[in-house]
Amino acid sequence: MPLTVIRSLEKDLSLKAKEYLLTMQEFFLFSVRAFFTLPKIKRYWRDFLDQATICGTDSIPIVLVSAISIGSLLAIEVGNLLEDFGAKTMLGRSTSISVIRELGPLLMGLMLSARFGSRNGAELGAMQISEQIDALRAFGTDPVAKLVMPRLAAALIMFIPLTALSDFAGLQSAAYLAEHYHHLDPGIFWNAVYPRLGPKDFVVGFAKAPVFAVIITLVSSYNGFIAKGGTAGVGRATIKGIVVSSGLVLIANFYVSKIVLENM
Amino acid sequence: MIELRNVTLKYGEREILKNVSVSIRDNTIKAILGPSGVGKSTILKLMLGLIKPNSGQVIVDGTDITKLKETELYPIRRKMGMVFQGNALFDSMTISQNLGFFLRENLKLPEAEVQERVAEQIKFSGLEGYEEQLPENLSGGMRKRVAIGRALIFRPHMILFDEPTAGLDPVSSKRILHLISTLQQSSNLGAVIVTHIIDDVFSIADHAAVLYQGEIIFDDETEKLHQSQHPFIRSILSDKILEL
Repeated sequence: MPLTVIRSLEKDLSLKAKEYLLTMQEFFLFSVRAFFTLPKIKRYWRDFLDQATICGTDSIPIVLVSAISIGSLLAIEVGNLLEDFGAKTMLGRSTSISVIRELGPLLMGLMLSARFGSRNGAELGAMQISEQIDALRAFGTDPVAKLVMPRLAAALIMFIPLTALSDFAGLQSAAYLAEHYHHLDPGIFWNAVYPRLGPKDFVVGFAKAPVFAVIITLVSSYNGFIAKGGTAGVGRATIKGIVVSSGLVLIANFYVSKIVLENM
Repeated sequence: MIELRNVTLKYGEREILKNVSVSIRDNTIKAILGPSGVGKSTILKLMLGLIKPNSGQVIVDGTDITKLKETELYPIRRKMGMVFQGNALFDSMTISQNLGFFLRENLKLPEAEVQERVAEQIKFSGLEGYEEQLPENLSGGMRKRVAIGRALIFRPHMILFDEPTAGLDPVSSKRILHLISTLQQSSNLGAVIVTHIIDDVFSIADHAAVLYQGEIIFDDETEKLHQSQHPFIRSILSDKILEL
């Protein structure tokens, strides 16, 4: 390979590495600013309520649909597996642990990354492209406090009840399928759920909600804030926000479980 | 008074502004003229502190704003009003909400005074009857007038216009230029107008600066543009619209 090609590749790589580091630095500062503006929540309570409705109340249907599907599926598949070993009575235990520790919060995180994250990316991206974010700054309003902080606060607060709802719906659907598909007495199913679930299981599940809230809100909002290149740019920013936040949700799901299970 | 002193700005490897010095006195209209994509709008953003130069100073009323933090810039920005090229109106808000938004947001004024100032701007912009309309329901010229009204809401002493007549029909353009001229005469406001339309410059600007290839090649009274021997200026005087 000629030396000039190697040099050009080296230059490209170095530029990309520099760009990546700069983006990481900007994202870090953006996140710090978002957290530092949280005390201003009283001033932006209307924006907070709007965002709480969008990421909380309006997200209930999609969270329910995903929780019910996964709860039902788990009950059928795990029930079939346990039947082979004559251990169908353990269905409540295995599904409850899976739903509360892992699948309930994870699915909620992924669904909200798609729903709430895409909305953030598209809305803020469109505001960036049409200079509305510049207008906020030009007239003396902090755009992070006005646009990002209410989203962050709303997600931090609303993701916890959504996790509870997701867990509840997942378990109820599993119980329904256990009774009607596997013909398991509901008493046997719930008896295997309640005494077996410990505080650790709830800590693992509920600790994920604020982590996902931070990841989804900050990643999607940051991508909206740096959108450029017209409507196609808004599309790119939205997609990037969803893809990156979904990936990070999956990674964070693993690490939160690992850290809590190892330390409790 | 706003002054750019030896300002250099780079985007990556590309040098947008090269050692640019330009000043805008209060109570005068200054036009910054140049072809599209040459960095004219960037100059306005530098004046507001929305971006920082790589080197040089941006002095607003004696303060070098390049050294200030974002929060320290807010009171300085309120001395200036900005009319963005695409207007940057909040599309989910009505016209009166757009006009009153920053007053409610940044000044602790009684609601009655906010309403009074909004009504004042509605009247000045000739938008009576459209108060409760969304921006999307207005024509381009009307949206521009709302943007001007919003820029005036803090009663600034300088107003910055980014391509105020771009994309407007000739009648609307004339009306906007008349509005800018009226503002300067009635309220004694200073104005900076960034444009690529030379007719606009001769219509209202007292002074003009020409930005070409990142450098200021002319900075004087507008009428003296005719005396310039610079080949670029000679070419724009003959072609009128800069699309180089």
